[in-house]
Amino acid sequence: MNFEISKRGNPHFSKIHPFLADLIKEVAEDPWEDYPEGGSRLLPPPGTDEELLMDWADHVQPDLRRRFQEDRLLVSHDIGTMKLGKGKHPVWSLEIPEDHVDAWLTTLNALRLAIVTEHGFSEEQLAHKTAPDLSTLHGIALLKVNFYAFLQECLLQGMELGNDDGAGSGDENGGDENGDALNSD
Amino acid sequence: MMMTHPDLLESPETDLSISLDTPWLVVVHNDPVNLMSYVSMVFRRVFGWSRERSEHHMMEVHTKGRSVVWSGGREKAELYVQQLHSFLLLATMERAKH
Repeated sequence: MNFEISKRGNPHFSKIHPFLADLIKEVAEDPWEDYPEGGSRLLPPPGTDEELLMDWADHVQPDLRRRFQEDRLLVSHDIGTMKLGKGKHPVWSLEIPEDHVDAWLTTLNALRLAIVTEHGFSEEQLAHKTAPDLSTLHGIALLKVNFYAFLQECLLQGMELGNDDGAGSGDENGGDENGDALNSD
Repeated sequence: MMMTHPDLLESPETDLSISLDTPWLVVVHNDPVNLMSYVSMVFRRVFGWSRERSEHHMMEVHTKGRSVVWSGGREKAELYVQQLHSFLLLATMERAKH
């Protein structure tokens, strides 16, 4: 599988093996549905203050969940544009619109968090360098976590190439005192 | 405030307008799943920090388990925690200790 920034400035994956293409097609799955235990990690408590917890559950968490859903819809749309090449051993390609990259990063992260929580992978298991045992669901889940991390890294590097450290540059003192630092880029 | 908690507050943002109240701290906790490059990108995005400052706090999260990334009024702390949660970082807010 190759990764590059297209002439249009979009992240572009090419020569995607059908097996990996199937894994990509699973990115837009609903983590709350597929990983009910892992889904709890996606909406962590903001602290221990009871008033804050109630406010969070009533207002913030529903909004966050709605935003995650919107991100997944964008990802799902992009997956629908994946192209299958021709030839004896056809491979897939995927171009992600630049303005969808944040949605991909969040969706990939949510899925990885849900899978890891669901399967209870330890930090040591996540860091291991040997190939996972693909004869088990556990091993396949670990492969997914690592593959989706690879996709995230590609997209993050693509952003670096595109932005060349645009966010926060020249803002060493932090921009918050003026109240204008949120989502600066 | 930094003088009273030198062990916790290495270089947090501080909203001076609410300095008379007990400030709230926004804390990011370590999570082995989140990629280091991703956490650094989120800090840059949410706080508008430079790459160096973002990576400093990211490494603090990674090596010490947590990093205080902001201190100030409750309302703004909630906004930051919500933003960090929208990127799926493990973030909490707590009152600074006297």
